Amino acid sequence: MSLAATYRLGTRLFWRDRSMVFASVVTPVGLAVGLPALMRHVTSGGVAGATALAQSAIAILLAITAFMNITVALTGRRDQLVLKRLRTTRLTDGQLLLGQIASTATQTVVLIVACAVAVRFAAGVPLPADPLVFAAATIAGSVVLSLLGAAYTAAVPRAELAAAYTMPVFLLCGVSAGAMGPIPLPGWLQTALDLLPTSAVVHAVRTGDLAVPLLVLAVWGAAGLVALRLWFRWEPRRS
Amino acid sequence: MTAIDVRGLRKSHQEFEAVRGISFEVPEGEVFALLGRNGAGKTTTVEVLAGLQRADGGTVRVLGLDPYADRAAVRRRTGIMLQEAGFFPDLTVAQTVDTWRDFTAAPRPREEALELAGLTGRSGTKVRQLSGGEKRRLDLALALLGRPDVLFLDEPTTGMDPQARAATWEVIRDLAGRGTTVLLTTHYLEEAQRLAGSMAIMDEGRIVAAGGMAETLAARSGRVAFRLPPATDPAALPLPVTVENGLAVCRAEDPDLAAQRLLTWAAERGLRLEGLEVRTATLEDLFLDTSPKVAR
Repeated sequence: MSLAATYRLGTRLFWRDRSMVFASVVTPVGLAVGLPALMRHVTSGGVAGATALAQSAIAILLAITAFMNITVALTGRRDQLVLKRLRTTRLTDGQLLLGQIASTATQTVVLIVACAVAVRFAAGVPLPADPLVFAAATIAGSVVLSLLGAAYTAAVPRAELAAAYTMPVFLLCGVSAGAMGPIPLPGWLQTALDLLPTSAVVHAVRTGDLAVPLLVLAVWGAAGLVALRLWFRWEPRRS
Repeated sequence: MTAIDVRGLRKSHQEFEAVRGISFEVPEGEVFALLGRNGAGKTTTVEVLAGLQRADGGTVRVLGLDPYADRAAVRRRTGIMLQEAGFFPDLTVAQTVDTWRDFTAAPRPREEALELAGLTGRSGTKVRQLSGGEKRRLDLALALLGRPDVLFLDEPTTGMDPQARAATWEVIRDLAGRGTTVLLTTHYLEEAQRLAGSMAIMDEGRIVAAGGMAETLAARSGRVAFRLPPATDPAALPLPVTVENGLAVCRAEDPDLAAQRLLTWAAERGLRLEGLEVRTATLEDLFLDTSPKVAR
């Protein structure tokens, strides 16, 4: 019940903040639908090129709608002392964080599915061949990226820097998944970038292989949980 | 039964020891005031009692439970008004209360909470448009939602206008009358004197004075002050006085009697004691005496 309460709160606040909706819904959805549509209609890449790009764009949605959104939201509430106030309720720390993570992950999954449907009509990209693999990969990916975003707040000194601090993560995720177009990378770097959680989700959606991506996501998820326990701050630093 | 029991509490922030081994008890149903200047350690004490910070040393029990280790259990029976905490600025007053009702077991109805805090007319207003005093009242509404047995109020009436302050005092008195235990910190000594049955004064992380409000004040001397008549030797007065800037101050257990003696003495000599002021001991006297660093 309490988890549901924080879930509802997170969802209510997600759609209420207009500038945040623009940043974490309009922009990534525009990219995830617009890029494949351009590829299909303007270049010679055809449906195959558009499909590859649509799959890569899932990394963008995960990096922005899950990771950036929760980082910005939680650092903002931390610095405005809203998290501190929430802790005076009977909610436990775990319920507060998990409710928010579940809420952010849900919005992300909804947007990923909406984009998959939209590119079907806008660029003729076929719907996922194996809906179960698609669902498992995107749900697990959204949860892990939301969890990592919550943990990442510990590295952000002030709320106004939150979006800027997530930018390198966004670029890394986008480049490694190929969402920024073909960028030549040394082999060792590509291998390392393939271990990113966003790359794992894109790999699963592209190939239908679920075992290795889920393992990668599990390791990232465990790391995120440990980081949350060790370093998450409920109040701004006093100094 | 003891509602709040603090023994040898110590708490540091990095290198700074904010609370240095304090002890006090608050019986059930009593209003207890924790006083002291800024930085005395009051808020740290409240936050440890509220389970937001873990004590470095000593023991703290609220309703017999450790507020940090048993936070969930303690929370069901406590209400907390922090000195500083944020709201969601874009939610209205009513939406804020509804959100918090969602987090509270068996909460008061929204209208009842708003009425208690005197915010009924503001329910449709966004929190960002509230004045500082109104935000404080919303704070109070949220703290009271769960009908708590123990209420922590850290500077509850800061920023309120006199009317709202009086209304808040009435609410606190009413709650205490129904058996709610209240721990209050305040800068307004009048507030403490009116509401609290007992108190402790903190200075630099230690308790420097404590006891029942009435007994503590009764044991203090009162004060008679007047402008020293020109060309009068203070040593010639019938009672010992201290003189500062021409103002003679006489401390006496019974200030009325002292004033009579001084007036009689002056009348016999055809002198006037201008600006005569007679005061029984107030909390302010005690506070100034025990917290010497407060600017006078």
